[in-house]
Amino acid sequence: MPRDPKYDILFEPIQLGPKTLKNRFYQVPHCIGAGSEKPGMQAYHRGMKAEGGWGACCTEYCSIHPESDDTSRVSARIWDEGDVRNLAAMCDRLHQFGALAGIELWYGGPHAPCMETRATPRGPSQIASDFELNIFPRYMDQDDIDTVQQMYVDAAIRAREAGFDIIYVYGAHAYLPFQFLSPFYNRRTDKYGGSFENRARFWRESLEKVREAVGDDCAIASRFAVDHLLGPISIQVGEDGARFVEYCDDLVDLWDFTVGDIAEWGQNAGPSRFFEENHEKPYTGQIKAGNHTNKPVVGVGRITNPDTMVAIISSGQFDIIGAARPSISDPFLPQKIDEGRLDDIRECIGCNQCISRWEIGGPPMVCTQNATAGEEYRRGWHPEKFHPAANREKSVLVVGAGPAGMECAMVLGKREMSAVHLVDASKEIGGCVNWISQLGHSDGKDNLFRGSARGLGEWKRIVNYRQIQLDKLSNVEVHPGSRLSAAEVLEYGAEIVIIATGCHFATDGMNAATHTPIEGADTSLDWQLTPDEVVGETKRVGQRVLVLENEGYFMGASVAQKLAGEGHAVTLVTQAAEIAHYMDYTLEAPMLHRDLERLGVGIHTYTMLEKIEPGVCHGYDVWNPAHKEQFEVDTVVLCTARISDDALYRELKADKGRLEAEGIEGLYVIGDASAPRMIVDSIFDGHRLAREIDSPHPEMPLPFIRERRLWGDSTNEDFRAQLLNTVDVV
Amino acid sequence: MKIVVPVKQVAALDDEFELLDDGSGVDPDFLELDLNEWDAFSLEAALQLREATGDGEVVVVTVGDDDADEALRGCLARGADRALRIWDESLDGADPLAVARVLAAGVERERPDLVLCGVQSSDAVNGATGVALAGYLQMPHVAVVKQLDFDVAQSAATVKRELEGGLVEVLRVRTPALLTIQTGINEPRYANLRAIKQAREKPLEVSSPGELGLDADLVAAAAGSRRRELKHPERGEGAEMIDGSPSEVAARIVEIVRERMSG
Repeated sequence: MPRDPKYDILFEPIQLGPKTLKNRFYQVPHCIGAGSEKPGMQAYHRGMKAEGGWGACCTEYCSIHPESDDTSRVSARIWDEGDVRNLAAMCDRLHQFGALAGIELWYGGPHAPCMETRATPRGPSQIASDFELNIFPRYMDQDDIDTVQQMYVDAAIRAREAGFDIIYVYGAHAYLPFQFLSPFYNRRTDKYGGSFENRARFWRESLEKVREAVGDDCAIASRFAVDHLLGPISIQVGEDGARFVEYCDDLVDLWDFTVGDIAEWGQNAGPSRFFEENHEKPYTGQIKAGNHTNKPVVGVGRITNPDTMVAIISSGQFDIIGAARPSISDPFLPQKIDEGRLDDIRECIGCNQCISRWEIGGPPMVCTQNATAGEEYRRGWHPEKFHPAANREKSVLVVGAGPAGMECAMVLGKREMSAVHLVDASKEIGGCVNWISQLGHSDGKDNLFRGSARGLGEWKRIVNYRQIQLDKLSNVEVHPGSRLSAAEVLEYGAEIVIIATGCHFATDGMNAATHTPIEGADTSLDWQLTPDEVVGETKRVGQRVLVLENEGYFMGASVAQKLAGEGHAVTLVTQAAEIAHYMDYTLEAPMLHRDLERLGVGIHTYTMLEKIEPGVCHGYDVWNPAHKEQFEVDTVVLCTARISDDALYRELKADKGRLEAEGIEGLYVIGDASAPRMIVDSIFDGHRLAREIDSPHPEMPLPFIRERRLWGDSTNEDFRAQLLNTVDVV
Repeated sequence: MKIVVPVKQVAALDDEFELLDDGSGVDPDFLELDLNEWDAFSLEAALQLREATGDGEVVVVTVGDDDADEALRGCLARGADRALRIWDESLDGADPLAVARVLAAGVERERPDLVLCGVQSSDAVNGATGVALAGYLQMPHVAVVKQLDFDVAQSAATVKRELEGGLVEVLRVRTPALLTIQTGINEPRYANLRAIKQAREKPLEVSSPGELGLDADLVAAAAGSRRRELKHPERGEGAEMIDGSPSEVAARIVEIVRERMSG
C-alpha cells in the first residue's frame, strides 16, 4: 500500500550544513552497550535502523579522551586510530543505506569516574558529582581549558576520518559544556564564570574550534538541555536556555534538544507510567516557538505515532523527529510509515528495559518489544526478516499465549512452519500482561514534580502488536478459552510442542529474602492477596493494606500505587535497602518515589515479616531481628516468590515413550513456565526458541559471536566460525 | 440420525478494497475467504446432536468452486463425517434461490432427519437460502434458533427463537425439519492439528447439478434476481461546507436551523 500523502512531510529532505538528511527520521545518540569495543554490534545495530529508513543514526556518547571514562557503563570512545577503525565500520554500514552517521563527542567531567583509566576528570569548579559517588573534578585553569578544547578538536578530526557526517559537541545531561554554562556546577569568578556570556564561553569556544577544524566537511551539532528542571539555580528555558541557543546559533548546523540532567535523566527518557508521548514539548518546544533559532531542530519524547510526528513538524515544534527508544523498538518505523503499514509498527512501551542495562553497567541493551535489539550482529537476527525453518514441514502446538508464547508462535509463523496453533486457557491472549497493564494506578493526577500517574497501560502494546501479527499469519491459528490437559496435548497431532504456561505467585509467603514461607501467610484467605488478585477484584480490599515486596522490581510498588490511588492506607514493606531497586535502572524510581509520597504510602525498608495474623503483621529489622515492629492492617498483599506453572510440561516430559508414540519429536518449555523472569526476558526466550527451532538442539541456545580479542591473534577471522553457527546471518 | 449442514465459504473484505472495473463484484485480491461465521454454529449444533444421540452422520454441503474445499475441510476437521460440494460454472453469481434449489437436490439425495443452516451469510446477508431450501424440500422450518433441544424418542426438536422486545417463542417441530441457527447458540469447537491432518482423508465428493439430476433450466428458473452492479454509494447532495471564523460558522448554523424550523 502506498504511503498516505499526509505523511509526505516526514519524508522531505532537510539540509544540515554541508550534509543532506534524506528524511525527518533521526536516531539521536543513545547507548546500546557496544561503544567502540564491540564494533560489530555497533555497526549492525545502527545499520539495521538505516536499513529501516532512518535518515541518520548516531553513536552513543563518545568519549574524546581517556580522562572522560564512564566505566563500568559503556560509552563509545574515539581516543585513537583503533577507535577510528572500529567506528568506521558503523559509518560504512549507515552509508550503505543512505543514512548519515553522527557522533556525540563527550567529556563528562566529574560525572565520569574514570574507573578503567584511573585518570582525573577536570571540571569548571571543584564540586563532587551529583550522579557519581564521591568523584571530584580538578579545577580547570586556562591551560586545562585549552587542553580539553583541543581534545574536542582532535576527536572531531578523528571522527571525520572515521566517516562521520554529523559531529556533536555534547553538553546535554549536564556534561562538561553544560557544567560551565550552569551556575549549579560553575562557581568560577574568571572569564568562564559569573555572567551568562562568561558561563557560555567554554561551550561557544569549543564549538568554534570544532567548527573551524571540521565544519566545512561535517555538520556541527550540539545537544543541549534547554531546561535543567532545577528552577532558578540552573538553566531554565525561559532564561538562559533560549539565550544560549541564540548565542551559539551561528555555530551549529543542528540543535538536538533535551531536558534535565544525567542524575535524573528519566526526565528525558521518560517512562510511560509517568510521561506521555511528546512530553518534553513544554520545554523544548519553546525554542522554535519563540523564534530563538534559525537552525534545524531535532527533539524527542518517545514519539511513535506518525500523526504526532506530522503535528510536531507542521506546527513548527521541531524540524526533525528524534528517537532513541522508538527506534530500538522498531528499527523499521520509517519504512512502515512509508509503505502504509501502520499496523505493523512495533511501538515502544516505555518500560526502559533498554536503559536498565546501561545503568547496570556492561550488559548489552535489550528491548521488551524487539527481541532482536542488540542481537543483529552477534546472533544475526533481523527484526523483519525470517528465514524459512529447515523443518518447516512440522506443525507446532504452543500452549500458553503470554509474552513468551505469543512471541514464539509469531516468529514460528513468520518462519513458515506448516501450522502453528497457539492455545490459551484464558478468553483473551496476553497472559500476565493483561493484568499487569492495569497496575501502577492511573488516576491521571499530577506527580509532585512533573508528569502524571498514567499506570502501565502502554505495556498492553506487547499484546496488541503480537495479536495483529498473529492475525495476519495464515499458518497460525490462535485458540483462546481452551485449557489443554496432557492427554489433549499428546493427542493434538503436533510434532513440536512448546509449553509457555507462565507462573503464579507463592501463596504461603515463600520468598527470596528468607528462602522460607512466612508463618500465617495464606492467600487462600479472603484478606490475603497475590498481586494478580488486586486487579482481579475477586477479593475485597480493606482500608489498611500492607504490601510485602521481596521482588525488587515493579510489582510491589505498582500494587501500592494502585491501592493508595484508590484511597487505601498502604504500607509498603521490603527486606531490601529500597523498594523496587531495579526501577533505579529503568529511571522510574525518582518519579515513583514522588508518586508514593503524593499518595501517602508508608515505606519500611530493611524490614521483613515473620508472622501474619488477622489484623496484624509482625515485622523485624533485617540487621537486628530482635527489633520488632507491628503493622495493624486489614489486608495483606504478598509480592513474594513466583513459581513456574510447569505441571503440564513435567507430566508430558515424564513419559518419553508416549511422546514418541504420539509423534511428538520436540517438547520445550519457555518463559515463566521455565523460570519466572522479567517480561523482556520471556519474550526473548520465546523468540530465541523460534529462531533456532531447526537447530540440532533447539532447547540449547546456539553460540553467539563474542566480540573479544583472542590472545595472539586479532583479525576478523577470529569470529568466523561462530558467525557461521548463527541461524539468520544478515 | 443424519444431519445435513449446508455451509458457505464467505469472503471478508480487507480494510481497503477495490471493485472490479465491470462492477460485477469486489476484486478478489482484496478478499479473504473463510467459513461463514453462522455455519460454525450450525455445524457445532449438528456435531453436538450426533454426539448426544451416540450415532448418526453429519454431512456438510456447499455450492461453490474449488476455493470452497478449504471451508469443507475445516468442517471435516471439526468433526463432520462427509462433505459434498456442488458446482457448475453456470452457478457463478447465483442468487440465494438458485443456490437453495441446487442445495435441495443434494439434500434430497441424503434424506436427512435434520437440516441445520446458518441464519445468514456474513458477506451477502440475504438470510434467504435456509428458508428457501426448506421451501424446496417442503420441510417444516424454524428460523433464527437460539436454543435447540432434541428428543430422540419423539424425533422432535424443541426450539427457542428470540423475538423483539426480549420475547422468546418456543416451538416444537417434528423431523425431518430445517432450522436456521443463530450465532451464540453454542461455543463452536476448533480442530486440533491431528484432526486437520485426518480431515484430508475424509470423503469430499464433488458433484454438479446435472449429476444430481437437476436441469440447468430449472436452476435458472429458480433464480429470483441477479446482481447488476456493485458500487460505492454516490455522494449525496445538500451538504454545505461552512467556511469562516468560529463565530461566523456558528452564526450560519443558527441561520440554517432557524430556516429549517420555520420551513
